[in-house]
Amino acid sequence: MRDAAFVRDGTSVGPFTLDLEEGERAALQCDAPRDAAIAALLGCGIVKASSGCVLIGDFDPRVQSVACKRLAALVPHEPLALDDGEFPRYVAYRAALWNLEPRRAHERAALLRKRLAGMHEAFAFPLIGALIGMPKLVVLDRPQPAYVRHILDVVAGRALLTTHADADGARVFAPNTLRFRSVQA
Amino acid sequence: MNVRALLGVLRGRLYAQRRIVAACCTAAFVAGIVQPTGFVAPLFLCSLLGIAMALAQSPGLYPHLDRCEQGAPLFGRELARAKALVPCVAAAFAALLFAGAQSLRDPGGVPLTIVVALAAVIAGTLTALSATIRHGASRALYVAIAAAMSGIAYGLAAGAHSVLAEVGFCAIVAFFALRQYGEALARYDPI
Repeated sequence: MRDAAFVRDGTSVGPFTLDLEEGERAALQCDAPRDAAIAALLGCGIVKASSGCVLIGDFDPRVQSVACKRLAALVPHEPLALDDGEFPRYVAYRAALWNLEPRRAHERAALLRKRLAGMHEAFAFPLIGALIGMPKLVVLDRPQPAYVRHILDVVAGRALLTTHADADGARVFAPNTLRFRSVQA
Repeated sequence: MNVRALLGVLRGRLYAQRRIVAACCTAAFVAGIVQPTGFVAPLFLCSLLGIAMALAQSPGLYPHLDRCEQGAPLFGRELARAKALVPCVAAAFAALLFAGAQSLRDPGGVPLTIVVALAAVIAGTLTALSATIRHGASRALYVAIAAAMSGIAYGLAAGAHSVLAEVGFCAIVAFFALRQYGEALARYDPI
């Protein structure tokens, strides 16, 4: 991210500047939960930067959004309330969207679920869903600090970007927290 | 076109909206029993159900489905086709159930009802989809245009007695509505 900012209709988030290589992690501390959510969407290429640039791998989300989305996965902040019977359906849905072989997606999901034993399912399911596509960059929007060990364990080897609305949460996920204050447009 | 993604979105959304789909199908079946003759009930009721199903695809109603689809490696037009298929299939179910109920009382009119109702339903539903990613007056305008499509389709089928003209009109409207929705979805910022 190079001076990447999102500005629209009175909402101004950023600018953010950071470099993240595979295996590295960074935590962005924003002023408000909404800013953190937008920063996460910017970081994984779902929302396009109004100014500055975001590159995921060698791809720019403004012109190569599909290539970016193959590399980056978002884990939303909101928990996913599913019962046990609906989890295979959720995995099949994600596998279809990412054009993955269903059998391999289910195997990968089962393996991840074992590794995330102890993590509440409502928070584990979105993380598992994000990881079955084997992304190189995982972006978590305001993850729960209580599950930092689980998250760092399953994300190991990939680039990890977390966004936060409080300093404590950010410090738990990355030793060097990047604090950004939104500049009013 | 990624068929796996298309079917994945269709299955995922139909499952999430199964109660709305069931309610629409029940309403169509009851209407088919009560009012089996003429084009008014199948055309307007099924179009209305299609518009309601289209509006049920609005962002925010199923946030996790929205986030998964926004983050999936799909082009805007691919996602538009997949999301458009959901209300069209649901409304087509309703139209077929209407025709099924009609066949119990007036079997002769069933084939024509299916053709006329399906054409109007698909055109109205695809037009209403553009309302899902808009707010305020422009959203209301797209819903009004979708309703007007049903009115014109009825005028052609019942007033001008030309089913061919109705089907042709609806096909043209559906084509441009889907293109418009795909382009709007590609530009859409989910904030």
